[in-house]
Amino acid sequence: MSDAVTLDPPPLPGSLPPLLPGNPPPLPGLVRFVGPEWAYWQLRIKGAALLLVTLGIYRFWLMTDVRRFLWSNTEIAGETLEYDGLATELLLGFLFAIAILIPIYVAIALASLELDLPDYSSALGGLGLFVVFGEFARYRARRYRLTRTVFRGLRFHQDGSGWLYALYAILWWILIIASLGLAYPWAQANLQRYMMRHTSYGKLPGRFEGSGWRLFLRGMPLWLASVGPLLVAAGFVAARIDWHAFDLANPEDAKDGAFAVIGADLVGKLGTKTLVGIGIGGIAGSVLVAVLVYPVFQAIVYRWWLSGLRFGDIAVTSRLRIGQVYLIYLRYIGLVWLFMIGASIGIGVLASAIFALLSAVHIAGSQIPGRDVIGAGIGVLFYAAFALGISVMHQVLITFGLWRAAAQSAEISDAPILDTVEAKAGLSSALGEGLVDALGFGSV
Amino acid sequence: MSIAADTLMVPAAPVRGPAFYFNGVTSKRHDVIVETAANSLRIIDDDQQYVVDEWNYADLRSRSAPEGILRLGRRGEAALARLEIRDAALAAAIEVRAPALDRGGAADRRLRQRVVVLSLAAIASLVLTAIFGMPVLANKITPLIPLPMERKFGEAIDKQVRPLLDTGNRGAAFQCGTAPGEAQGRKSLDKLVRQLETAATVPYRARVEVVRRKQANAFALPGGHVYVFEGLLAKSETPDELAGVIAHEMGHVVHRDGTRAVLQSAGLSFLFGMMLGDFVGGGAVVIAAKTVLSSSYSRHAEAAADRYSVELMQKVEADPKALAAILSRIASDKDEGVALLRDHPETKERIAAINKVTVDDPPKPLLTGAEWKALKAICGSSPGDGKGDNQLKSSNQPKPSGQPKP
Repeated sequence: MSDAVTLDPPPLPGSLPPLLPGNPPPLPGLVRFVGPEWAYWQLRIKGAALLLVTLGIYRFWLMTDVRRFLWSNTEIAGETLEYDGLATELLLGFLFAIAILIPIYVAIALASLELDLPDYSSALGGLGLFVVFGEFARYRARRYRLTRTVFRGLRFHQDGSGWLYALYAILWWILIIASLGLAYPWAQANLQRYMMRHTSYGKLPGRFEGSGWRLFLRGMPLWLASVGPLLVAAGFVAARIDWHAFDLANPEDAKDGAFAVIGADLVGKLGTKTLVGIGIGGIAGSVLVAVLVYPVFQAIVYRWWLSGLRFGDIAVTSRLRIGQVYLIYLRYIGLVWLFMIGASIGIGVLASAIFALLSAVHIAGSQIPGRDVIGAGIGVLFYAAFALGISVMHQVLITFGLWRAAAQSAEISDAPILDTVEAKAGLSSALGEGLVDALGFGSV
Repeated sequence: MSIAADTLMVPAAPVRGPAFYFNGVTSKRHDVIVETAANSLRIIDDDQQYVVDEWNYADLRSRSAPEGILRLGRRGEAALARLEIRDAALAAAIEVRAPALDRGGAADRRLRQRVVVLSLAAIASLVLTAIFGMPVLANKITPLIPLPMERKFGEAIDKQVRPLLDTGNRGAAFQCGTAPGEAQGRKSLDKLVRQLETAATVPYRARVEVVRRKQANAFALPGGHVYVFEGLLAKSETPDELAGVIAHEMGHVVHRDGTRAVLQSAGLSFLFGMMLGDFVGGGAVVIAAKTVLSSSYSRHAEAAADRYSVELMQKVEADPKALAAILSRIASDKDEGVALLRDHPETKERIAAINKVTVDDPPKPLLTGAEWKALKAICGSSPGDGKGDNQLKSSNQPKPSGQPKP
């Protein structure tokens, strides 16, 4: 690097063409997504076909292409990001993760066999390890992606401990489950604070300023709406409980226990069918509301998360609107519906053609060995192609759609600070990515 | 491309134009002028006072960037100096001079083609290993597994299988022959099994049980558990038919087919499950491949168990062809929608192979008429009439590594 080296003015022959119009003026603080959707469709469809042909081995290359596209089309204050990770790094990380996980799986299986543990203990142990490794891997994968993200000639970085993060994440998950989801805002705020505290752009330290209370207040109506039908159903039943049905003096009652007696009384009053109906109705109502308000939830969380990001004095704000997220989902549902109709017709036509061909050969007298196997194989291929089709639509319309909407909605303050950040050395390995992949919950 | 051609292609007149420059040390964006010199790209400070840097054409690499921007870096450099060119004419001029730049990604595409081709080769190699290598490997490893371990392992599988099979119907015990009225049947069964066992060389006692399930099926677990379904007993017309089936299952136990199947299935999971199929819909492809392969493994095991049954039946001087009789009866059952199974070549081949045996002496009865009657009633007064799904081999019920089929 020789930007400090001053040479004589270079020879500038007069015959040079006039300077072309200069660079565009920097855009103050705006975040944009500049890539066209069709290019992403192309990338994903081609990728799906290659995944099918290579039985998934191509995924490391596809993932790298996808990130290159998403990163290099995300523009912050006039400059786009650059992803400089390599597919071979992902492949190596995956192989490394496999090398770690196989002995662990074998050890669990042998231990449960040798120690004569009950069946569920090895399943539980496996699940526990899966969760711990999973959270660890998530953290390390984030680190890999950040260190492969170049912006204005500098990398992002992440330090901190993946194991500590996994511990926090698991404790928070227990709290979230125990509180029926009410702890979610604080869990997110806390985990994001940990991650962002250990994130930096060059030497510019990151932090997270989103508050759990704020997310809680915004999300509370959604929680109430989703849990509402269940609460109403429970309230309706509770109002009809005769708490005096249990009589300790009665020897029959004393033998059966309070719970059984009051329960039997309730069943007698309402009837089993009504009770089951109320239960199912409550659950169905809750699930339905949860599905309907999920885009609202997503919009709120995205906006809250983006608006909480800080790098030094640079603050991010987001104006992601709920309607945008609904539109993304509606478009997906509509197109998936069309795809399913089209695919059913296409598969039907193709399948009948193939079977006609097979039976023609059969009638002609030459029994094909393994005719059933061929039929089943074709069926499985159709299924895989169909599933891949749906997955491509999900990737493009939802994952990509949300990425683009979130990027477009964001803006950064104090963009001039971006001219003053210094570089910091260091890369990280793709082990986390490999674990994520080997454990089977990878994403962009 | 030769150097001579290279030189020929370079237009004489240098091209210059505006660009952004990041030096990789700070994030500052420098407005620079870029000029295509003879052997290098010259980066000149905005006010044209000094040359900031000179990058050799051979070192130039294009980096991922949005449409319309040429983003340049240098090969193998630790710092991340970048040059961003939005001027199409200048970008084109640089591309001509730096053939290794690969802006269109041709080298990258070639690499991807190699990945796809090598993946296909790897899959072919895995499939060949699975078809030819895995059975050999499993055959070599199975005898190395100590019998007590196999037994323990069988117990573990048994603990999982029993609840799956036990439908708890009619409120009776899952296992037939435990109620007081069924004791005679149990005695007959024991007599039948004892005769087979004495003639055989089973590494440990075969624990044969008749259980309450309607299908005409039987299977053996590693370690000597043999389950005969009530439906199969109902379909047996002679003691020899039942004995033939039990002898077949003992063949699986002696050959340690259950353990071998588990080893093979683990091997297949390792070959296919770990590396492959990690995409939406891929699970189905892998499961299908595994099913086809395991059924090809079990074909050999079935034939061997049939041969064992024939030999054992000859040793106890019973009718070795009785197994073929019950196989074909189950296979030709018109009640069931098993047309596919009925003309299944595998079952036909098996029956034909069994029937090849020559029987010299008339068979000696294994059980008396009364004993057989008691055995038929081992599941109580209303033995299953054989209705229900017939399960022949190649239908995968019950799943857990057993050898389903009579």
